[in-house]
Amino acid sequence: MSATVEAGRFGSGQAVRRVEDPALVAGAGRFTDDVAPEGQLHLVFVRSPYAHARIVAVDTAAAAALPGVVAVYTGAQLAAAGVKPLPVEVPFRRPDGSPFASAPRRALAHERVRFVGEAVVAVVADSPDAARAGADAVSVDYDELPAVTDPVRAMQPGAPVLCDAAPDNVAAAMRHGDAEAAARAFEVAAHRVSVDVANQRLAPAPIEPRTVLAAFDAGTQRLTVRLSSQMPTGVRTGLVATLPGLTEEAVRVVVGDVGGGFGMKTGIYPEDITVAYAARALKRPIKWRAERLEEFLAAVHGRDVMSRAEMALDANGKVLALRVRGLANVGGYASGTAVLIGLLIGPWVTTSIYDIGVIDLHLSAVMTNTAVIGAYRGAGRPEAIYITERLFDAAAREMKLDPAELRRRNLIRPEQMPYTNPMAQVYDVGHFEQVLDRGLALADWNGFAARRAATERAGKLRGRGLASFLEWTGGNVFEERVTIDVTTDGTIEVLSAVQGMGQGIATSLAQLAVDVFQVPIERIRVVMGDTDRNNGFGSAGSRSIFTGGSSVRVASLRTIEHAKALAASALEAPASDIEYRAGRFAVAGTDLGIDLFEMAGRQDEARIHIDSTSTVAGPTWPNACHVCEVEIDPATGAVAIAAYASVSDIGRVVSPAIVRGQVEGGAVQGIGQALLEHMVYDSHTGQALSASFMDYAMPRVDGFRGFKTEFDQSVPSTNNPLGVKGVGELGTIGATPAVVNAVIDALDHAGLGRDAERIQMPVTAERVWRALHKREFDPAPLKDLKG
Amino acid sequence: MPTLRLTVNGQPVQAEVEPGLLLVDLLRRTLNLTGTHIGCDTGQCGACTVMIDGAAVRACSQLAVQAQGAHVTTVEGLAQGGKPHPLQEAFTECHGLQCGFCTPGFLMSAAALLKANPSPSEAEIVDALEGNLCRCTGYVNIVAAVQQAAKLQSGSKA
Repeated sequence: MSATVEAGRFGSGQAVRRVEDPALVAGAGRFTDDVAPEGQLHLVFVRSPYAHARIVAVDTAAAAALPGVVAVYTGAQLAAAGVKPLPVEVPFRRPDGSPFASAPRRALAHERVRFVGEAVVAVVADSPDAARAGADAVSVDYDELPAVTDPVRAMQPGAPVLCDAAPDNVAAAMRHGDAEAAARAFEVAAHRVSVDVANQRLAPAPIEPRTVLAAFDAGTQRLTVRLSSQMPTGVRTGLVATLPGLTEEAVRVVVGDVGGGFGMKTGIYPEDITVAYAARALKRPIKWRAERLEEFLAAVHGRDVMSRAEMALDANGKVLALRVRGLANVGGYASGTAVLIGLLIGPWVTTSIYDIGVIDLHLSAVMTNTAVIGAYRGAGRPEAIYITERLFDAAAREMKLDPAELRRRNLIRPEQMPYTNPMAQVYDVGHFEQVLDRGLALADWNGFAARRAATERAGKLRGRGLASFLEWTGGNVFEERVTIDVTTDGTIEVLSAVQGMGQGIATSLAQLAVDVFQVPIERIRVVMGDTDRNNGFGSAGSRSIFTGGSSVRVASLRTIEHAKALAASALEAPASDIEYRAGRFAVAGTDLGIDLFEMAGRQDEARIHIDSTSTVAGPTWPNACHVCEVEIDPATGAVAIAAYASVSDIGRVVSPAIVRGQVEGGAVQGIGQALLEHMVYDSHTGQALSASFMDYAMPRVDGFRGFKTEFDQSVPSTNNPLGVKGVGELGTIGATPAVVNAVIDALDHAGLGRDAERIQMPVTAERVWRALHKREFDPAPLKDLKG
Repeated sequence: MPTLRLTVNGQPVQAEVEPGLLLVDLLRRTLNLTGTHIGCDTGQCGACTVMIDGAAVRACSQLAVQAQGAHVTTVEGLAQGGKPHPLQEAFTECHGLQCGFCTPGFLMSAAALLKANPSPSEAEIVDALEGNLCRCTGYVNIVAAVQQAAKLQSGSKA
């Protein structure tokens, strides 16, 4: 076995078969619902049919009397038993200076419901059918209240109030930047443009519905909760914070295969608490598997931000200031995540890769009778970047400049690194012009006129859109613990607290271990998802490889260093003479040596064990250039992607096929937002109108697949030892503005001019047709906003 | 309760079943074949796709008793003699899956296609997979994998 051969075949940078795949393609994955212990009971929720109502009475007697029904729980019962509301830590304030405000969110609604689908009663039975029959037999007497789903209306006097401490329904608000400096910049500007944009509400919709299996062991008095989550430790923290008398030591959270997360499976859900409560109360294993309808109604949604955004430029196209007034509709309960995303994470990247010194951002998080907002792929960055990229195109149109040229005039130069943006975020490295140029070249930017002419000869419209941008990654949690066990059976166990949810993290971490150990990848066994063994922030914010991967490398190096000392002693040679290659230590210049795994057998417990905690220096700033071309059929308004090219700087690439899959799969999600997806509520009743896959349009296989995707590895991050940058969210962030800018370009060229900028997402055939043929557009989202 | 007799992955199965039992629950709960996944309960996502007598069928929208006398193939029955099906090989080779939750459904829809049409065009592949949702991959590598499997299959027969 040769070191260079093994590292060359399986190490980072090499295309390897994923270690996750053999089980998954055989149907032998272990998703939560695949685990069914003997005697498992089934839990079904009764959910609110009203968007806003007082719970007057709950009658569970008929349900409890049904055959098979074991227990029925109400919000009142759980509150009386001491189950606490979900913890919310939000260091924000309301516009009047009072603290952040939201109604307490409970495991089961108590006294009042605030969105359609909120869980009200839980029925536990010995079969799913019996539990469903029990749920049907529960009678809840509601006193319906007026509902509000639109954040502008929610802020107006006389609107229904969701939380008494926030009579205007504003949970929190923030101003960033320098309003006076911005006002002066707008006064002296040669060019001013503004856009009114709605970044519509989306359903993350991983294909695996949330599933929770909780079991109480009477012997150890411990609770084990198995569920589909990106953050096992966060779930444990949430359970301990809400369930009376539960300590961290008394609960174990286990995560097996996760069927997609996209940010939606971060943190604790009310349902998790109810299932865990029931398992403790009944001392039986209890399972809840969400139906798809429940996922649309009660899993977190993403985005839903309305903005009026303005840009001031001088005569040469240098941006002088950005000004944004934005409302984030955070749903019936303001979660810490939603407020953080809308009020802070988005603003961190608003100026993106551009050297813009003056900003004035005024952002409010508003509660309405809709499902709770949480993280969804990008979480704040897609909303912010969409605004900035739309403004650059608007300004280019206004100034009759090439949109790429206008961006180029404003790019942060490499010599400005490290660069501090107006939100005090420090970019370590970045060569944005190089990425822009590569993107334009890959897309054959300058050859567009000929392609447009060809499309027009065929009776269609063609447009071209650009997005060049960066994003912040990491969750600002930079520490990770990894343990490594070299065992006599020839395997190296790598235990990490990051959490795979389908990206192939186990494969990438294994490759990073191979780099150091120089053994075949089959010898590396990556373990995640068990709070009894390791804890950490989990996987979110595209952090897993730059934090988790870096910590695997550090732990692997520490293992070799430690084992080298053991080898020196075993071989009776000075440690400085010991060389490690491909699973074997040797005394330099001799035939003397010892196998790594054999040496493990000579240690206590027949293993070499390293417990390693390490940190990276800061976040990473992946950046990219996306160019999209669309074709529009003027007869129907239907938009089709005609070409798509992207160049991404994600630093050094660990797993080429995986990162390509992240960028392209992510781009398809971004295209979904641009063209198809919208979680719609009826504005009068607050009923969800798009709560199935027949109504909520997601990209299907007949969409665009011809991506040109390249990576620029020439600018590694200096904030971590791998030189990598996050990748999971990058494609989604870039695709949405690139597609919409292309549609607007086509409509502009068809004669709409700057009016084309009034079109809103999703850019459906109907919206395009109305714009083209009737000059009809949706009203500006904030037109009725005062203040 | 009706007595159900059918063949699942080549093995005869006999079971007393409730008339209302869904095929997917027979497979997952009674027979412990958990590779067939439930993604939407309503036949809209395709994660539960199995083959019944060679045709791709949604196991969540079919009663178990409707499969009386039928030959049902699930993802667990794709591999033959310990050798992965060309589709399983190709999905792995082409990175045609990420989280893998929708994958069994795609494999079964594609297996039914290749059974009926061993060398499908790209348009025929897209048509056959139109009823399966994937949220991770963007479908790029899924279509490539089916094309690759068709090639593998024709190569092994040649």
